[in-house]
Amino acid sequence: MRTWYFSEMAYHPAWDKGLARGSLRVNFPNENVDPREAGTLLNRYLDEFALCDEAGLDIMVNEHHSTATCMTVSVPMALAVIARETKKARLLTLGNPIANRPDPVRVAEEMAWLDCLSGGRLEMGLVKGAPYEISPANSNPGRLMRRYWEAHDLILKALSTHTGPFSWEGEFFQYRAVNIWPRPIQQPTPPVWMTGMSMDTGRLAAEKGHVVGTLLSGGLAKPMYDAYRKRARELGWEAGPDRMAYAAIVGVGTTREEGLRRADSIADYVRTAPVVAEPFTNPPGYNSIGANVAMLKAGPRAHRMVTDRNGVPIDHRTATVHQFMDTDTVFAGTPDDVFAQLQAFNTRMGGVGHLLFFGQGGHLSHQDAKANITLFGKEVAPRLRELGAPTEAEAAE
Amino acid sequence: MSRHITVSGVDLEIEEKGQGRPLLFLHPGEGLRPDHPWLDLLARYHRVIAPHHPGFGGSALPDWFGTVDDLAYLYLDLAAALQLQGAVLAGACFGGWVAAEIAVRNTQRFAALLLSAPLGIKVGGVLDRDITDMHAISRAEFMRLAWADPAKGEIDYTQLPETELAAIARGREALCVFGWKPYMHNPRLKHWLHRIGIPAHLLWGEQDGIVSLAYGEAWKAAIPGATFETIPDAGHYPHWEQPEAFARGLRAFTDRL
Repeated sequence: MRTWYFSEMAYHPAWDKGLARGSLRVNFPNENVDPREAGTLLNRYLDEFALCDEAGLDIMVNEHHSTATCMTVSVPMALAVIARETKKARLLTLGNPIANRPDPVRVAEEMAWLDCLSGGRLEMGLVKGAPYEISPANSNPGRLMRRYWEAHDLILKALSTHTGPFSWEGEFFQYRAVNIWPRPIQQPTPPVWMTGMSMDTGRLAAEKGHVVGTLLSGGLAKPMYDAYRKRARELGWEAGPDRMAYAAIVGVGTTREEGLRRADSIADYVRTAPVVAEPFTNPPGYNSIGANVAMLKAGPRAHRMVTDRNGVPIDHRTATVHQFMDTDTVFAGTPDDVFAQLQAFNTRMGGVGHLLFFGQGGHLSHQDAKANITLFGKEVAPRLRELGAPTEAEAAE
Repeated sequence: MSRHITVSGVDLEIEEKGQGRPLLFLHPGEGLRPDHPWLDLLARYHRVIAPHHPGFGGSALPDWFGTVDDLAYLYLDLAAALQLQGAVLAGACFGGWVAAEIAVRNTQRFAALLLSAPLGIKVGGVLDRDITDMHAISRAEFMRLAWADPAKGEIDYTQLPETELAAIARGREALCVFGWKPYMHNPRLKHWLHRIGIPAHLLWGEQDGIVSLAYGEAWKAAIPGATFETIPDAGHYPHWEQPEAFARGLRAFTDRL
């Protein structure tokens, strides 16, 4: 299992006001951000990313818009800084929200540029994006996935074509001369990742051979991984752990209490991030018809919960760190504790090759964040690297 | 009674009821709701033909189909297939936008145009929101703005069968496909409304919080000879909220033809 550190680069000083308004995203006015404070925090977060190189960790960056929960507005912009500050770490975008990008060729250019700049260290996540990203981008939620797949195909073709220009006359995108300069070092393209929460996504990712990742949803991860492995077998290949990724909060400390305290502080992000005004949570077309039928049947006051390993519903907004641990949202404790928890998780999931280490939610101090990264890199990551597919993986259906 | 008809390769579910001058009714973004009393009232004097827009109800939304232009040509083909003559072309809310797009193209089969609180044109400046962003407000807020008496429009979705819920979810997505950007309008349509050469009448609920009376006046000014009538105690859907007054307004208009 490889470890990829990531941080949302949150603007936590505004969280209380956002919570009071019932929305931290989209319609939370930016008068609530002090730009100088934002700059100070961004520099601090980037220092935390840079530290990962020495700690032997890889790096993941994501992006969101119009929100106090994440100040990274551009994955390539953040990675451009980080690429210059690191030498060894692989750099993962997870990701580029390509269904919301008006210009996929620009995405291909940015990815190729980063791959060149970093000496071929780029890994490229092409994601659908969260429902509340539709409004800031004003992208059409109708036929969203058709637009996603067209952008995906165009980006991969732009990255891998060396004898252009080529033309593209698609349903959503039209170009007359695609010919990106520079082209990426890694050929035909940097490794491609996707994210998802459904078995459908698992199957589709398997058909492409991409890495599939899921964030903070242990109960949903296993069926998606199983669907991936099953589809791969149908297609004549065996999907190893290197195709599966999982994001979780990790707090590690020299004592169990210290690790739990750090995880609890990072988990404030998960308690806060889902708070968004109702109309932005489910734009029509974003979710499947089946999912929408279920939501309409459940009624307007139903709050979607995750379930722990025993099927007990957990409300993310108020969960304790121990409840989060029961949902595989958090791994925490001493290095030995965390390794043991991840080893057991790896077995339950049938082999997960990538841990996306959510190590800074906002509230964690710079000192704690650095200590968390350093200790994890020294005591946990090397042991995880030895962790392959579980010898007795649970049978996949 | 609903039936299916294939027009230009699109499988359409249409409701058809009554006798008299044909009335092609194009429904709002919220759907057709043929079980509401409006349809029976209009069917007293008209052969009402009310298609479910592609993606809504039991109508298919083919992959190639996805603009209001497509809807306009589809319904022109439907009118031809049904051999309509001297028909009333009526549209409410989103359906009013579609009706106007039809009328600027070809009114050969239509004697009159009735628009009930149509969406579809841009009137104000770049910072003016002519049409309430129905996708940026809660369902409760939408109901407050769209109905004079929101209780009249409430639907208990938890009691509906799954097939109906699936149709509602599909219709909601279809509305986005057709109208997300630019939001529920065609920036050029206003400049073509002068082409409408048949009598046009606008009906507007006095408590409409989705498109204002001033927006209705802009429609009136852009369509040559158009008349304008408001309906008390009605929001954005007068044909649902005040079906009797809506039917009377339609009858007074068609009596003048």
